[in-house]
Amino acid sequence: MERRKIVVLGTLIAITAIVCVTAAAFYASIVGTEQAKTVKVFHAGSLAVPLAEAESQFEALNPNIDVQRESIGSISAVRQITDVGKNGEVLASADYTLIPSMMYPEYADWYVRFATNDIVLAYNPELSMYADEITPENWYEILRRDGVIFAFSNPNLDPCGYRALMVLQLAELHYGDEQIFDDLILDNTGITITKEGEGTYLIKTPEDQKPNTEKVDIRPKSVELVAFVEEGGLDYAFEYRSVAVQHNLAFVDLPEQIDLSKVEYADFYKKVKLETVDRNTKTGKPIVYGITVPKNAQNPELGLEFVRFVIGDAGQEIFADRGQTPIVPAVGSGNLPEELKSLVYVESAKPKPTPTPSPEPTSTSTSTPTPKTPGL
Amino acid sequence: MKLRSRLPGTEKLKREKIYVIFLFLGLVLVAFVFITLGNMLYRQTEDFPALIDAATNLVVLKAIGISISMAMASTLIAFFFGVPLAYFLARKDFPGKSIIEGIVDIPLMIPHVIAGIALYGVFMRYGVIGAPLKRLGIVITDAYLGIVIAMLFMCLPYLIDTARAGFKEVDPRLENVARSLGASHWRTFREITFPLAFPSILSGAILSWGRAISEFSAVLILAYHPISAPILIYEKFTSFGLAASRPISVLLISICLVIFILLRMLQKGRK
Repeated sequence: MERRKIVVLGTLIAITAIVCVTAAAFYASIVGTEQAKTVKVFHAGSLAVPLAEAESQFEALNPNIDVQRESIGSISAVRQITDVGKNGEVLASADYTLIPSMMYPEYADWYVRFATNDIVLAYNPELSMYADEITPENWYEILRRDGVIFAFSNPNLDPCGYRALMVLQLAELHYGDEQIFDDLILDNTGITITKEGEGTYLIKTPEDQKPNTEKVDIRPKSVELVAFVEEGGLDYAFEYRSVAVQHNLAFVDLPEQIDLSKVEYADFYKKVKLETVDRNTKTGKPIVYGITVPKNAQNPELGLEFVRFVIGDAGQEIFADRGQTPIVPAVGSGNLPEELKSLVYVESAKPKPTPTPSPEPTSTSTSTPTPKTPGL
Repeated sequence: MKLRSRLPGTEKLKREKIYVIFLFLGLVLVAFVFITLGNMLYRQTEDFPALIDAATNLVVLKAIGISISMAMASTLIAFFFGVPLAYFLARKDFPGKSIIEGIVDIPLMIPHVIAGIALYGVFMRYGVIGAPLKRLGIVITDAYLGIVIAMLFMCLPYLIDTARAGFKEVDPRLENVARSLGASHWRTFREITFPLAFPSILSGAILSWGRAISEFSAVLILAYHPISAPILIYEKFTSFGLAASRPISVLLISICLVIFILLRMLQKGRK
C-alpha cells in the first residue's frame, strides 16, 4: 500500500513538473517572438538545404531577427501569398518565371534571378562501368554500351525525370546524333516521341513505362537513385547537380546547351516538350531560381536585408557549396528597390521581363475534354 | 431437472458464460478488421466505374497477377526447404537449436525496409550472391526473381513455425509403431507423419502466401520492376491520391479474399 502511494505521488510530481516546464517554454517562446522581428520566407523545397544554412548565418549576424522558413512547392509557395493571403517577407521560387506570371503586378513588381540548377549524370567512380572513360563528350556513347545500366526518375511523378528525358532529346540535337533518344529510351522503354512542326519534339510518358531493367531503371524520385548508384547497382543516374553535390556523388557536367541551366539557351530548351500520363504538357526551360519581397510583406526592409544576404558573397558561397550555382552578379528585373541596385546586374528594361503567355509555366494543363481517370 | 427444462437457453448461457465473454472480447478485433476493410469496400461502391476500369486495366491485372503468382512461387520454395527443416526442428534436440530457430524468426522482427536493404546488398550484381549469379547470366534485382526472393525472405517463418507446431502434434509413438511394423523411415514420414501434420502445413502455406502477397518494402527495394500490386497501389497513392489507388486495393483484396476462403474450405474439407 505504502509503495503504491509513493508511485502515485511520484507520478503527480512528474506531471506537475512537465506542465510547468511546458508552460515556461511556451511563455518564453511568446516573449521571444515579441522581441525578435520575424522574416517569413516561403520557398521551394529544393531550396531548403541552402536556405537553412543562409538562415542560421543570417540570424547569427542579426540576433534580433528571426527567420522563419516554410518549405513547399514553388507554385504552392506563390499561392500562399496570392491566394491564401499570407504575409511573407521573402518568396524564393525554383522557377523564376512564376514571380512575373503569377505575382505581377499586385503582389510583386520585381525579382532577382540568383542561382541555377541543372541536370547532371551522376555515377560512382569506383563501381560504375567505364567511369574512368566518361566525359561530357562521350557520355551518351557510354550509356549505349552493353551492360551499362542507367536510370532516371519517373517523369510522371518527378520533374527531374521529365527533365532527364528532355536532356536526352536535346543531346540528339546538340551532338547531331539522331539515334541517342532512340537507342537509350525508345528501345528500352514504352516512352514515345513525335516530331512536331518547326523542329520541336513531344515526348509522351505512358503509365507503364516498361523499362528493360537490364539497361534502364525508372524509380519514383530521383533522390532514391542515389543509394543505388552508391551501392553500384546502377551505373549512371540523371540527377540535379544539387543532389549530386549534396550526396558527394561524382557526375558528368553536361554541356550548358542541354543541361537546362542557362537562360541564354531558353529558346533551344523549349524545342522539347513532354506530356505526362495525366495530360500535362511540360516545356523544356532553364532551372533558374528567383527571389523577391512580396508587396504585402510586413517588414519589407528586413525581407530586402535577407535577399541582399542571399545574393551577396556569403549567400553565393552557400549556394555554390550545395551545387546550386549562384548567378554572379544576380540578375534583377522589374522595378528594383534602390538597396539592391548595387548588387545586381539590371536586365535591360523591357516592358515585360518574360514573354511567357501561360499563367502557370511549370505545368501548363492542356486539359482535354474527355475526363480521364487519373492513372487508370 | 424441471428448472433446466423450463429455461434451457438461460441455463445454457450460464454454463457457457466464458465463451460469451470471450466472444465479445474477440469480436472487438474482428470488428476492427471488418470495419477497416468494409469501409474501404463500401466507399468504392460509390465509384463503381473506377473499379470496373481497374478490373479491365491490363497494367493493374498484370500487377495483381505478378503478386499472386510470385507469392505462390515463394511459398513453394519455402515449402520445399521449410518442411524438412520444420520436421527436423520438431523431432531433434541439439545444442544451438534455439539459435537456428531464432535465425528463422528474424524476418518476423526486422523492419521490412531493412530486409530489403540487406537483400539488395547481397543480391545486387556486385553482391555476395548476386555477383556469381550474374556471371551465370542470372539477374535478381528488378526482375521476377527479385520479387520471389524478397517475398521468400519475409514469408518463410510463417511456414516453418506453423509446420513445426504441426509435426510436434504428431505423436512420435505413431511413427514408432509404423517403423516397428517394418515401414522405412521415409515411408513413415510419407504415410503417417506428413499426412497427420498436413493441415498445419497447409495452414502455414496459406499464411506464408498471404504474407508474401502483402510484402511491400522489401520488394520495393529489391525489385521495383516488374511492378507488382502493392507497388502499383503505392505509386498511384503518392501521385494521384486515394481515389486512384483504392480501386486497385479493393480488387486485390477481393481476389485474395476469394482465394483465401477457398483454401480454408479445402483445408476443412480434408479434415
